[in-house]
Formats: sequence, C-alpha cells, structure tokens
Amino acid sequence: MAIRRIEADVVVLGGGSAGTFAAIKAKNANPKARVVVLDKGPIETSGAIGRGMDALNIVSVPGYGTPEDVVEALTKVSEGILDQDLAYTLGQGTYGVIKDLEDYTGREPGDLFPVDENGNYKCNYLHPTNKPLYLAMDGEDIKRALAREVRKLGCTVLDRTPVVRLFTEDGKVTGVFAFNIRTGQHYLISAPAVIITSGCVGKFGMPRDGYLSGIYEFPGNTGEGFSLAYHAGAELVNMECFQTNLLMKDFNGPACGYVVIPRGGYGINALGEKYWSHGYWSGDMFLAVWKEFMEGRGPVYLKLDHLPEETIQGLEKILWGTERTVRGQFHKQRNENYRCWDSVEQGMEEITLCSGHSMSGIFVNKNTETTVKGLFAAGDCAAVPQQYLPGAFVFGGIAGRAAAEYAATAKAPKLKVDVDNLWKEIRAPLDRPDGLPVDQVETKIRTKISQYITPPKSDPLMQKMLWWIERMRREDVPNIKVRDYHDMIKATEVQSIIDCAEMATKASLFRTESRWGLSHYRLAYPARDPKWDGKYCVVKKNLDTNEMELSSKDVQKYKWDYPNRLEYDYPEMKHDLGKGFTHPPNDFNDPWIVEKVDREGMDIPKRMFVKKED
Amino acid sequence: MSGCDCKKYEWVKVDKSKCDGCGNCVEFCPRDVLRLDNQGFPYMAYRDDCWYCDVCKFMCQLDAIELETVPYLIR
Repeated sequence: MAIRRIEADVVVLGGGSAGTFAAIKAKNANPKARVVVLDKGPIETSGAIGRGMDALNIVSVPGYGTPEDVVEALTKVSEGILDQDLAYTLGQGTYGVIKDLEDYTGREPGDLFPVDENGNYKCNYLHPTNKPLYLAMDGEDIKRALAREVRKLGCTVLDRTPVVRLFTEDGKVTGVFAFNIRTGQHYLISAPAVIITSGCVGKFGMPRDGYLSGIYEFPGNTGEGFSLAYHAGAELVNMECFQTNLLMKDFNGPACGYVVIPRGGYGINALGEKYWSHGYWSGDMFLAVWKEFMEGRGPVYLKLDHLPEETIQGLEKILWGTERTVRGQFHKQRNENYRCWDSVEQGMEEITLCSGHSMSGIFVNKNTETTVKGLFAAGDCAAVPQQYLPGAFVFGGIAGRAAAEYAATAKAPKLKVDVDNLWKEIRAPLDRPDGLPVDQVETKIRTKISQYITPPKSDPLMQKMLWWIERMRREDVPNIKVRDYHDMIKATEVQSIIDCAEMATKASLFRTESRWGLSHYRLAYPARDPKWDGKYCVVKKNLDTNEMELSSKDVQKYKWDYPNRLEYDYPEMKHDLGKGFTHPPNDFNDPWIVEKVDREGMDIPKRMFVKKED
Repeated sequence: MSGCDCKKYEWVKVDKSKCDGCGNCVEFCPRDVLRLDNQGFPYMAYRDDCWYCDVCKFMCQLDAIELETVPYLIR
C-alpha cells in the first residue's frame, strides 16, 4: 500500500471539542489555508462530548460573572500555580463560545442554554467564589453541529486516522505521520503549524472493576498528545497534579455532581452525614472523600432524595439523556432510585492526567503556543487549569486562528523522513509472528500505575514504578503482537501511557511537597512548602541525550491578588501500634536446610510422576 | 478481543427485523467497535473497546439497536 503525501498549512491532531473549534477558526481566519483534521474516530461522534454534554462548567456571562471571577476561582483551585492570563482569557472568551455554539447548532437563546427573565444566560453557583459561573446546556447534538461546520468550511477530515509521529527540524514543526485504523492507509503530512488537541490521558490508571474501557474520560484519549509534544521537545507542566476522580462507582461516568449540586444535591458518607462543604472537583474535595474511606465512613453517596419530585425527574432527564446515557440503565439494573438516600454510590476510581478537570498538560501561553515553534495545543492536553469544556472551545479557537496566522508567514517545511523504515517500525507489532497480546500489556502498565502512583504518593512505590516502566519498555513493548490495524494503534497507545507514567512519576518525585489536596499528596512531604509557591515543575526531553529532564520555573507574576488556596489541611497520620511481640532470635544457619542441599544438590527434585495408562 | 467470543456476551443488541444493514452504527461508533457480519448485520467485533456510550443506538434511524445492558464487569 502506497503512502499518501499531503501538503497542509495547519494540521489538527484530534477532532474533539478543541480540535473542531480550532479547524473552524483556522478556516475563518484564512479560508485559503489547507486545514487537515485527523481523529481516531469519526469527528461527528468522537471525543469527550461525542454523545452530548450537559453544561459549560465555567463561564463568565453578563449579569452573572466577569473574567476576573474566573481568575479568582481558578487561582484558588490551582493553589497559585496558574498563569492568570490564561484564566482571564478563558473568562473573556466564553460568551463568544456560547454565541458560536448557538450559531453552529441553529438554536436560539433559551433553547441550547437557559436564559433568565432579563434575557441573560442563567448561571448557577458551583465554584469556590460568590459568583455563579456554571451554565447548564441541552447539548445532545453539539458535536454533530461542530463536525458539520468543519466539513462545510472545506477542511480535509481524515477520520479513524490517528497521528503517531510528529516531526521537527531545527526546533520547528515540519509535519506528521498517521495511519487509518481500518485500512492501514498511511499518510505523511507536511505542515508548518500543528495543533495538538488530542485530549487527556484518560486511559491511565486502571478502574477498580477491571474493564479497560470502563473509564471516566473518552477511552480514545490515551495521552498521544502529551507524548508527541514531549518527544518534539516541548515543555509539559503540572504532571504531578493527578485527577483523582470521584465517580459514579463502577459505571465510572460522571458522578452527576455538577448537574445535581447546583440544584440542591450534596455528598454524604455511609452514615448519611454531609461530609464536605462543597462539591467542586478540586483536590481538597478529593482529599475529604479519601479521608471518609480511610476512617471507615465509606461508601459515599450523592444525596438527591430530599429534592422535589419535579427536580428529580428533571435531573433524570438530563442525566440519562446526554453524555453517558446508559446510566439510567445502569441504575435500573442495580435497583437504584434517585428517591433513596443511598442511590448514587460514588467511588474514587482510576487516576488520569487532564487539564480540563485538573492541571496537567503541555505548557502553553494565552495564544496556545507551546515551547516548540509551530506547535500549538488546546483542550484537555494543554495545561490550562480546570478549564473544562469552555476552555477547549475558547483555546481551540485561539489555536486555530494563531496557527493559521503563523502558517501564512512561516516557510514551507522540509520533511526528511525515511518513510519505508518508519512504517516498518510502526507496523512491527502486526508483522511479527507472535508476541504479547496488546490488551494484556495495557492491563499491566495501567494496574502498575494504579498500584504504585495513586495518591497518597509514596516515594519508594514511585521509585518502583520507574523500575516497571524501564522493564516494560525493554521486555514488553518490543514484543507486542496485534492482529489488525484496529489493534495496531493500541501499541502506540501503550507507549503513550508509559511515557505519561514516567512523566507523572518523575514530576511527582521532583515536587518535594504536597499540594492540590489529594492530587499531589506526597507522604514523605505531607504539607505545602512555601518554597514551591509560584513554581511549576517542568518535564522536558533533552533532544541531544534523549533523557527526561525535570526543572522548575516561575509562574507568571500575578496581576490579580486573589487568595491562592482553599481552606484545608493534610491529615496527620499517627498510628501508634504499640510494642507488638518479639520472638527469640532464630538460627540463621539451619542444619535441616544445609543437610538437604548436601544430599539433593540445587536441582529441583522430581517427586511427581504421571502414571501412564496401561 | 480477550476472553470468550460468545455472541451472548454482546450488549449491543440488533433487532434484525428492523435493521436494513445501512452501517450507520458501524460508521459512527467512536471506538470502532462494530462491523457488519456476513449477513449484513452489525455485531461487536471489538467488544472490549466499547465505552457503552450509546452512539450506535442514537445514530440508528430505524430504531433497530438497543444497548441492552452495560458491560458485565461494571454491571
């Protein structure tokens, strides 16, 4: 099968929320720009909002909040590790996003988003501020609308064709390599500008139920964006701040908190007590949940039964109608009903790396530029703390415009790639006659991630994780065997997960303190250390030595003086176990063993014989 | 696909009296789980990649698909 070569101006890696917005805005900025969008799935349904989404979790709209309020909320939950320009830009851009979404879907104010009696978009309280910054959405079909717009504008869309290599020359982006996961058709695409919008590392830790795809984030999001940026020499930050999800137990869809809490629901423990004052997904809240379990008051639940029947029915409609619609089915099979106090069991499941819900990702400035020339990033893979879906749209749009402008002035890149050898290397798992099943290798790395680096983080366990990473790269990755192109992408995914595990572990060891509640609760340093205030932990590949390098750098100077943390303390663990029992010393040189070795040697004795049937 | 390949362990159920084999569900499954069998009906060719997202049912214009349950391990 011959390779196809494409010359482009802007290449978008991932056609999700950020990617579709990027493509649209790139085309809007320069209709002549050759924009190529690549995705693992079809852009109509892929990514985090493929089946719809029920809210814009952080917005500033007239009558309710301002961009400064967004800065205040994000300054607190990021505990000072925030480029406030990013937060302000997010707040500034959300109103435009609301209008764009109404435009693309052809829906009126009051239909896609609720409006109040003054005609303003009606927001609710959720964030740790006194301003309502949460806007509900009846967004079942927005992904289809975005995809339609992308295609209408004449972008080249390569569905089911994920990018597996990103090329640079002299520190500048030159292009990408991708293959179709059904046909194996492979592409070499040259472009001066590449936007990474390929989502979070959703497949990272292992969910406790053991189902590889049974995760909170979209399972196509396996960290390729993080890994490609890293290998291109870009800086990544906050990789030590894990998303320690509180989810609907086992179903692992959202725990409904952001739909239920603004409407009067709240979290309770097994004793029926409200255990924490807010339900915002920040590290302090996750720490509170962890403490409930550690002190024997788990499971925890989301309480709804005190709400009026009309509200419960309304919540059922929203919760079972968008995003993860089978949750109604799930409840039914467990005989659960929102009218019972313990109907929605929540659990702390797999850890992930995601800037949308947490902070980890590729370092970007407010123009979405990374530290590599021509490389832009937006959405869950770009480190804009707790930006949620609005951030993907706002920064996706900025990335599209910025990349189109850059491509208009940048020189055509020279791509020097030995395509035959590269394709041979990528398809090695398909061509080798035998080897390890790729799903088992994935299971192995993800169970190790769960066991060794899930917070609270232990230094010796994290060191052991690094041992596993080295061992799996040496022994397992070169022996992965797959049966077809569909599974061949999984070999790349496993390597991305391993790369991300290494970044997350090393960053966690580098930041010698605890911060962000449970998200970086390090047992050897169980308190926040002022010397780390205003400091990023940076992960970067040294392109000369191929080594992973860790460093710190200053967060941009604050423009707004808001409190930079929420009120909470790390628990002091004092377990006095008493003296215990000490038996008398044993004889290390056991004569029984010595006699056995003398008599039998070191061979394993053959004491079992299979009798042949006569 | 790991484990048993038995058809009974497929939670995407197709009503063959309604399905006309248009392949919409196959084309729009975001995880590339489905394929058409030799009779032209969709089945879960890559069962363990399913995110139980319901897109297949949502995209079926003939109402021929039902997500009968969620995967056994999470049920």
